Amino acid sequence: MAEDYYTREEDNYEDEELDQTSFKSVKDAVLFAIDISSSMLTPRPSPDPKKHGDESPASAALKCAYHLMQQRIVSNPHDMIGVLLYGTKLSKFYDENEDDQEDLSYPHCYLYTDLDVPSAQEVKHLRSLTSPADGDDDVRQILEPSKEPVSMANMLFCANQIFTSKAPNFSSRRLFVVTDNDNPHADNKAMRSAATVRARDLYDLGVNIELFPISQSDHEFDTSKFYDDIIYKTSPSDGDAPAYLQPDTNASTGKGDGLTLLNSLLSSINSRSVPRRSLFSNVPLEIGPDFKISVNGYLLLKKQEPARSCFIWQGGETAQIAQGVTTLMSDETGQEIDKSSIRKAYKFGGEQVSFSIEEQQALRNFGDPVIRIIGFKPLSALPFWANVKHPSFIYPSEEGYIGSTRVFSALHQKLLDSEKLALVWFIPRRNASPVLAAMIAGAEKIDENGVQKIPPGMWIIALPFADDVRQNPDSKINRAGDALNNAMRDVIRQLQLPKAIYDPSKYPNPSLQWHYRILQAIALDEDFPESPDDKTVPKYRQVHKRAGDYILKWAEELNLQASEMFDGSAATSTLVKRGAKTEPASDHPPKRVKIEDSAPGVEDEVKKCFDKGTVSKLTMVVLKEFLHSHGRATAGKKADLVERVEQYFEQKL
Amino acid sequence: MAEKEATVYIVDMGQSMGERHHGRPMTDLEWAMQYVWDRITATVATGRKTATVGVVGLRTDETINNLEEENFSNISILFGLGQVLMPDIRKLRETIKPSNTNRGDAISSIVIAMQMIIEYTKKNKYKRKIVLVTNGTGMMSDDNIEGIIEKMKEVNIELVIIGADFDDAEYGVKEEDKDSRKAENETLLRSLTEDCEGVYGTLEQAVSELDIPRIKVTKSMPSFKGNLMLGNPEEYDTAITIPVERYFRTYVAKPISASSFVPRSSTEPGSQAPVEGKGEGEGDALSSVRTSRTYQITDETAPGGKIDVERDDLAKGYEYGRTAVPIEQTDENVANLQTFAGMGLIGFVQKDQYDRYMHMSNTNIIIPQRANDNASLALSSLIHALYELESYAVARLVTKESKPPMLVLLAPSVEADYECLIEVQLPFAEDVRSYRFPPLDKIITVSGKVVTEHRNLPSAALKDAMSNFVDSMDFITTDDDGEPTDDLPIDESFSPLLHRIESAVRYRAVHPYDPVLDPSERLTQFAHPSEEMAKNSKSHLEKLMSTADVKKVPPKTKGRKRQRETEKPLSGLDVDALLSLEPKRTKISTENAIPEFKQTLSRAENIDAIHDAVQQMAKIIETQITHSLGHSNYDRVIEGLGTMREELVDYEEPVVYNDFVRQLKGKVLREELGGDRRELWWFVRKGKLGLIGKSEVDSSAVEEEEAQEFFATN
Repeated sequence: MAEDYYTREEDNYEDEELDQTSFKSVKDAVLFAIDISSSMLTPRPSPDPKKHGDESPASAALKCAYHLMQQRIVSNPHDMIGVLLYGTKLSKFYDENEDDQEDLSYPHCYLYTDLDVPSAQEVKHLRSLTSPADGDDDVRQILEPSKEPVSMANMLFCANQIFTSKAPNFSSRRLFVVTDNDNPHADNKAMRSAATVRARDLYDLGVNIELFPISQSDHEFDTSKFYDDIIYKTSPSDGDAPAYLQPDTNASTGKGDGLTLLNSLLSSINSRSVPRRSLFSNVPLEIGPDFKISVNGYLLLKKQEPARSCFIWQGGETAQIAQGVTTLMSDETGQEIDKSSIRKAYKFGGEQVSFSIEEQQALRNFGDPVIRIIGFKPLSALPFWANVKHPSFIYPSEEGYIGSTRVFSALHQKLLDSEKLALVWFIPRRNASPVLAAMIAGAEKIDENGVQKIPPGMWIIALPFADDVRQNPDSKINRAGDALNNAMRDVIRQLQLPKAIYDPSKYPNPSLQWHYRILQAIALDEDFPESPDDKTVPKYRQVHKRAGDYILKWAEELNLQASEMFDGSAATSTLVKRGAKTEPASDHPPKRVKIEDSAPGVEDEVKKCFDKGTVSKLTMVVLKEFLHSHGRATAGKKADLVERVEQYFEQKL
Repeated sequence: MAEKEATVYIVDMGQSMGERHHGRPMTDLEWAMQYVWDRITATVATGRKTATVGVVGLRTDETINNLEEENFSNISILFGLGQVLMPDIRKLRETIKPSNTNRGDAISSIVIAMQMIIEYTKKNKYKRKIVLVTNGTGMMSDDNIEGIIEKMKEVNIELVIIGADFDDAEYGVKEEDKDSRKAENETLLRSLTEDCEGVYGTLEQAVSELDIPRIKVTKSMPSFKGNLMLGNPEEYDTAITIPVERYFRTYVAKPISASSFVPRSSTEPGSQAPVEGKGEGEGDALSSVRTSRTYQITDETAPGGKIDVERDDLAKGYEYGRTAVPIEQTDENVANLQTFAGMGLIGFVQKDQYDRYMHMSNTNIIIPQRANDNASLALSSLIHALYELESYAVARLVTKESKPPMLVLLAPSVEADYECLIEVQLPFAEDVRSYRFPPLDKIITVSGKVVTEHRNLPSAALKDAMSNFVDSMDFITTDDDGEPTDDLPIDESFSPLLHRIESAVRYRAVHPYDPVLDPSERLTQFAHPSEEMAKNSKSHLEKLMSTADVKKVPPKTKGRKRQRETEKPLSGLDVDALLSLEPKRTKISTENAIPEFKQTLSRAENIDAIHDAVQQMAKIIETQITHSLGHSNYDRVIEGLGTMREELVDYEEPVVYNDFVRQLKGKVLREELGGDRRELWWFVRKGKLGLIGKSEVDSSAVEEEEAQEFFATN
């Protein structure tokens, strides 16, 4: 219960307030522009025949778009995405007549998925395009390249119009261009300069063009031929954000087989999937009295929760979400009241102690936003347990103080080299509650595709106050002997994770994914998936194979030490029944390495009753104990418990 | 359940308590009451009925007690043991004033307090306490003091005596020229408390310690009881199962929360509590607020475009993209992953490979199941093995059936008399947001060249200066013996907001008309580096500052016209030149208005050209408004307006924009742009797209006030 309460509470507490200084709405729109040429459509076979990697660059790009679309439904439910194919034989743009291929504004541009928050149908529609092999004729027709070249200027203006009409006033608009053609208008200077002009329009509109170049087998993609004239350092709407100029080295050399190409493209697109939004901007980092630099704050790690449930009205043609309207009423008169007349008061001594709005604000005010260094400590001074929430990330900005970046960099390097942390007094926003925090330097991390995984910068870790530290409850310590520790060490050595690190990207949140997977199935009226693809479930077979023997050794040792230490008292204790092993180890190998908390034989007893169909004859105590030891809920009436026990055995069979 | 409490405060109200001593601005009584009110309100704040308080006045003009003997005169029971509520506080505040007498025996008042407690608590389990606050100047008789001591011990009452200007060598208070009777009294009271094993202290210390925040100790309940497993015991014989329990290690204490109220519309007679004692404080003229929720859906045909629907006609559901997905009541849990409680180990990682910033949550501890020796032995071996291997474990934790799984990191904690695993949540793939930032130690140019000397990179001298400064600013923490430690000052740091609000509420309860106080020094002690540290590092800081050469960006140039160089593509191609060759671009087109407007401005050679561009843009915007179905075009309009405003601020042409937006407002209000467009004006206001004021551009004639008033629509 408490756990649940906590996470909900946290939501309100951690107000992910974004900078609302601009007139723009803080939303992101991504339009994919995917080049459909014959080279883009040619599958790149895998050298390893066992891998089904005959991916063409185009299908890899479409899969990435599909992947991003699904991902955004989960993580950015209000942001838009669209897919524009160009170089296609067919053309499609809003209500223009497809059959009349003569009079088109944007020939060979095919707006496959309109720029919008995707609907379930659109997800399905895009999915059908990702596997053209088993797609129908329509799909094949759409993916037929045009014989004449497409005008890049036209494609860019087409994108311009899509952004202008569908995503007006968005703070972030991005055009993801995926192509293997580094010189589209090699021999036509006029078309080339028309394209540069249209690219400038996009820049002035605040659209950021991001290029995902794919090298062809015979030559490297060379951006200097054309795209350096198209792409700008920063988008004007993102003026203060430092440009990330490092090319994704491996992505552009995606010369290998289709699968490698798909993976490097995915990783490259993933790294740009979220628009960069700051948590706070230009907050002074006060290094010493009268010495400040400016930094921006970001949330790079934040628990992603499923969207809240809502109420849906199904009386019309399409189901729609009903908007809840809350009205406030006076308890005294029952009349509706205006928000402005509300006063806040605290319950005290049977009455209310109230403060005016100004006083209420004054109480919350501990000064202007600041990150103020009050001293340094060795990194080792930060205990593992001293944590209360996710960290904030900061990166220097030249907006408030010129020279911030170099000073920040010097501090960053010093803290890394000396393994120190800075103790800071941290007020992220006006009227935010101040915290004492540890500021630690984080080094840049690059993944195997050369794409940045963790940016360089500093992390601010809020420390608990004395009020937030709980006392350890009493616990009886029975220290294990060396032999037992050694036996456990052998087990641990067998079961290290790859590279002995925790890599979050390997573990999608199973309940979040399942939630949206089911919603998708309901929305598209498809069959539910059989079982979830849950990467967090431990690999039981591997544990058994790799460490099984060591575990048995450990169990034997545990048994030995237990009987020595507790001298049979454990065996007779009513709480510790069948210890790790009560059967003589020599006779038959241990059946269960289990430190039971249930009465002896509860397991067997319940099983026996199940076989005889007499589970309902068992007492509540036994049923509860059995269910609890199998991680099942123990609440409810006896009938519920019996049903749950029966379910357990039925599932096992 | 917290223990029941019965505490009697004895307040010396004698005439001499009304005097000021030793240059203090307040009387002894006022001083004493700082302490007493703090203690009483702390009890009231708990809201517990079983935390009872009684108040006895010593050296009062009247005599109000049951012991009708000469010895007990001038002692008044002001408040019998019970829960203190606001009206009681008000009444006591009125009553507790210095009297006109110095008669009344402190020892007798203790007897009365004892009597009150004994009568009230009977033989029940209580925490009993008597607190006497006095300046020790009255007559005191030590008759039958042994009997008192004996009784005190028998019924287990804690006696606390706090005195104004009582000598306390330990705290360092010694009153010069002490009155001989007072000295005698002090000796008497001191020996009394010592014999009762009570507490004897000087008021100065008691008051000075009031600002040490008191930490509420919360008894933790286990948030999970179940099995820690390695392998699958349901499938394999080689699985380890250790019954464990999980408790909070850290948990953020939240400030008390305020509720919403509205001022009572009327003060009609007969209205119920809490209106009693009306007019005394201001807290009593409030009425609580209820909320009611109704539901609306969009219906184009309805007036206002919305209709109300009944809650019962609605199905629960979720959004999938922009598709609404209803979920039938029967399978409400269908979208929830089926899980069973348990903590399954996934694998192990190296401690030095783990980045501390991956901690996502508060922390918990994992200890063996109670009274399970085998479990504690088994867990101990895991803790020690992890410790020796410098490893952490990664586990999947489900605290209850059907709860979503969490990934947690388990670290060993081995202390002299305690051992456990510390657990913290790890991020899932979806929790990591990939924002990319350039490296901090090098600059990579467009062409891929690596540059190591740049204005954004620190020079060797700057790195040096930074290093020296950092090394001069070690934050010193010490243990009880004053020895330096490697600890962070967590134990001495208190949640500023929580304690400030709490003490403000308590202060206001007693002093309803005083302004709110500044936070106590103790709460903001970590807001700045200590003076000593600042002094020690001063020279290094100065050196660092001069080497760093950081310049504040004057507020005026913020957002000023961007550097032209950034408006070139990566190649540096002069697109402006190409643009000027474009024959079509003499008029701003509707469909490409924003880019063309910007480009026209950048080419403008005189103010007329700017006027012309603004005029064209104005026309486009007005047309968009006129043709907007409902609010369909408003976002485009706002974007256009915002762009115009931004550009004209940059070009320092506020008048052009202000003229335009004034006209626009007129047209909107006169409904000349396709009907009622007030909603649009609301967007203009929200986007702060009104007049450009003086503070933004010097040449503007618009004062801040006018700019504010401009948003009003009447």
